[in-house]
Amino acid sequence: MKHKHPRGLIALYLLPSIAVLFLYRWLPVMWNFFLSFQNWKPIGENEWIGLKSYQTIIADPVFWESLENTLIYFFIGTPIAIALALLLGLLVNEPIRGRNFYRTVIFLPYPITPVAIGLIWKWMLNDRVGLVNHILRSLGLIENGIPFLQSFQFALPSVIGTTIWQVVGYFMILVLAGLQTIPTSLNDAALIDGAGTIRRTWSITLPLIKSTLFLCFIIGIINSFTVFDMVYVMTNGGPGHATEFLVTYIYRNAFEFSRLGYSAAMTVVMFIVLLAVTFLSNRLSGGEAGGGRNYE
Amino acid sequence: MSKSKSRQELVGKILAQVVLIAATAVIIVPLYWVFKTSLTGENLYSYPPSPFPVNPHLFNFVDVFYWIPFARFALNSVIVSGIVVFANLLFNSMAAMALTYDFKLKSIVITMYLSSMMIPFQTAIIPAFLLTRELGLLNSHLGLAMPLLATIVNIFVFKSSFDAVPKSIIDSSRIDGLSEWRILDKIYLPLAGPAIATNIILAFVWSWNNFIWPLIIVRDEEMQTLPLALSRFLSYFEDTSGQLYAFVVLVAIPVILVFLANQKSFVKGILAGAVKG
Repeated sequence: MKHKHPRGLIALYLLPSIAVLFLYRWLPVMWNFFLSFQNWKPIGENEWIGLKSYQTIIADPVFWESLENTLIYFFIGTPIAIALALLLGLLVNEPIRGRNFYRTVIFLPYPITPVAIGLIWKWMLNDRVGLVNHILRSLGLIENGIPFLQSFQFALPSVIGTTIWQVVGYFMILVLAGLQTIPTSLNDAALIDGAGTIRRTWSITLPLIKSTLFLCFIIGIINSFTVFDMVYVMTNGGPGHATEFLVTYIYRNAFEFSRLGYSAAMTVVMFIVLLAVTFLSNRLSGGEAGGGRNYE
Repeated sequence: MSKSKSRQELVGKILAQVVLIAATAVIIVPLYWVFKTSLTGENLYSYPPSPFPVNPHLFNFVDVFYWIPFARFALNSVIVSGIVVFANLLFNSMAAMALTYDFKLKSIVITMYLSSMMIPFQTAIIPAFLLTRELGLLNSHLGLAMPLLATIVNIFVFKSSFDAVPKSIIDSSRIDGLSEWRILDKIYLPLAGPAIATNIILAFVWSWNNFIWPLIIVRDEEMQTLPLALSRFLSYFEDTSGQLYAFVVLVAIPVILVFLANQKSFVKGILAGAVKG
């Protein structure tokens, strides 16, 4: 049956969601670009300064430090999170006792407010009475508490570790969903052929959930480029700029120093790097990964 | 042969349990520790810390209500989340309804939806702030809710639910003269229970947890949402860890309960979102 398309109605239905996406996603991309050539003023006309902000970026060591920290989070933190999620996902996919309980608990941090999680770990890592230091001292590994979040050496790993703690359960659920698409007949056949667990995992399971792992990787890219809430409450970028990330630095410049034009220019650079990294990963994975994801 | 095989299996099972128990402990212990800290009556800086609450009491929670306008902040969070959830149900289902038709620009619209997932909100904060200021919505509940009024993942959650409704039902109800709005209201939505649940849960959690946006656009103290007030609590009150962690518990409990009560819908939703892209 041929039905006449209610064109006006379709437009009406689409309008609100497209308006929200346009105003808060697409327009900002263009607006940032525009703003990056200006010296923003709270009152009066903005002044055109050409490429000056970009020159400032190149000479700004803190920008490079925050980019480096972002990339460290991505290149080191994300693979660790995915490896852990893979291990846990493979285990809870087996018919073992308590698997539902384990799944629920390991996923539990994911929905919790990131600000709350930052504060929870701030307390855990406290040098005087934090549980982590208490355990290390009880084991005789250290004598005095380590001020994890105040130390140049440990602050960055601590913050990245906290984000991993939150996201591992989410990656695990993705891995589980990937595992469920594998036909059991494949494993059964390998079992009859006498392939051991490790062998089966390596040669059958892993290649089949490759696309799921790449999906985690892409999500990891976005997470590392957007990390903010936890850093803000745990270290606020410190000590020095040891835990400065791109978004924390952009936020600080825009909303603490009122340098909106400069922040816009950094956002443009960040967006281009983000797209480039995503594109490259997609190419490297042979286009198998799903697109990127942001849950808002 | 089979004996060594079953022994191997047993060792494997035990190893798996050990790893999973360790992982569970790493998750549970910090959550427990904060809960304990919020209840304990011990001096928080006494060493070694006691693993259990000493003289447990609820004074820390009472203090949170007493020291700051907690109820007001909670109300802000509830109002903003309420707006977000309502708008998500309405706007996302409308968008998904539109996508059930075949129309000329459909593939462009879908591409637009999907690709805007590649624009994290964090890259939009500066223009979003300027825009909200232009609209005069700084410091308002609506301003806080705006960026989340429609969410792509939830649109696709509705879409896959609507796609599952047999076309024949829709066609016959059109023949029966049901208006398009009625079709959404009387046929698609009643069959979309799980999608509605997922929309409510995800929209609530995103809105409740949102931090960077309130941080940017809230100017007056009384407009703070809970995560924002939580992040500022320490700067107002020094060395008040018992109260701070009571506050942490109060902010985290609603999302934890919503998640635990709706695990299936929650997980289904984030999976739908992740796999769609």
